[in-house]
Amino acid sequence: MSTLEQKPASSEGRKDPWSQLLQKVGKNQDRAAYHALFEHFAPQLKYYAMANGMASHAEELVQEVFVSIWRRSCLYDWRKAAASTWIFTIARNQRIDMLRKMQRTSAEMPVETEDLWQIPGDNEDEPVTSLHRLMSERRIRESLSHLPEEQITVIAKVYMENKSHQMVANELDIPLGTVKSRVRLALNKLKVILQDQNV
Amino acid sequence: MTRHHPDSLSLMEYSAGNLSEPHALCIRLHLDECPHCRSRVDTLDSLGAVMMEQQPKVTVSESMFDSILSMIDNEPAGAANAAPAPRLSPLQKLLGDDINKLPWKRQMGDVSVLDITDRFPGQSEQVVLQKLAAGGKAPAHTHRGEETTIVLQGAFADQKGVFNQWDFVVLDDKDEHKPVAVGCEDCITLSVLSAPVKLTGTFTRMLNPFIR
Repeated sequence: MSTLEQKPASSEGRKDPWSQLLQKVGKNQDRAAYHALFEHFAPQLKYYAMANGMASHAEELVQEVFVSIWRRSCLYDWRKAAASTWIFTIARNQRIDMLRKMQRTSAEMPVETEDLWQIPGDNEDEPVTSLHRLMSERRIRESLSHLPEEQITVIAKVYMENKSHQMVANELDIPLGTVKSRVRLALNKLKVILQDQNV
Repeated sequence: MTRHHPDSLSLMEYSAGNLSEPHALCIRLHLDECPHCRSRVDTLDSLGAVMMEQQPKVTVSESMFDSILSMIDNEPAGAANAAPAPRLSPLQKLLGDDINKLPWKRQMGDVSVLDITDRFPGQSEQVVLQKLAAGGKAPAHTHRGEETTIVLQGAFADQKGVFNQWDFVVLDDKDEHKPVAVGCEDCITLSVLSAPVKLTGTFTRMLNPFIR
């Protein structure tokens, strides 16, 4: 897999190696493809679990995410999300699910985690503009490389450490307004805000 | 077509998985009906993936892949390709098929409420359904703390505009309004109140998001 390691997801759509591998897992239960995904994503997922305070359950989270990837891979459609985006949303949901289950019994949860947080491509009937979605990953990678460090720090704390904007403000000892304006500037570059204005 | 959307910062907190369950529910209900915001969340989900890819990597234990393989080998046959079960909307799971027939509590004039906070154990927010009878008016009021509202049925209007089904609005103590239910249906909304409040005696009326 070393050639894939050197240019992860640098090309889009059909050419994205991880999306192709994931598609193979879904279609043929291809274990070699599954293993390649594991080699690439498991170390990222373990960092994610540790960064957000699940250190003692970090490997358990990685395992649960991979079992979930196996189960759901038949639903995966590269036109709806790149593999890395799809796997990120599964990890996010698995983390939330584990935290919920530690806090209460399933009888106390009339609504499941996936009723609240959607995995892209699940239960979606609408036609997909795949180009748009996959373009956005490339665009994000490019845009991020131009963002000031202080904006990236804030975004990393929100996504990796799962801190609210208020918690990030407390930790960095800066006003909440400053955190929000850093996020807005970053999202503006990523064209998430621009889309607000077209509503 | 919805016209009032969650702001980008809330969508980001949603995408990161940092919102409380009731807040996530409000966003999810909106996303199910708003392709525009769904595409914004797709972008934000990709941002999460790219952030994760750019962080340090942590080596996993050598035996882990084998234990995952033995876990999937023990999966019931056909589980990998099982058709997803018929889908109930989160709202149906929470409230059943007809939100008009819930045990509404008439409060004052045209307004009824139902507190559903107990459906979200362990959360600090108050979660309230409110119903303004078709054509009815709520008295002028402001809001304590921050209140996130999504319209589940019908529509209401205030000085800021008309809020239709699946529209999303956040109000705080600076927003005084006097909502009127427009159209021929009762207007039903779901609100999440950030400041935890006690529903006791006469306070019930004061803390009701429509009448406060």
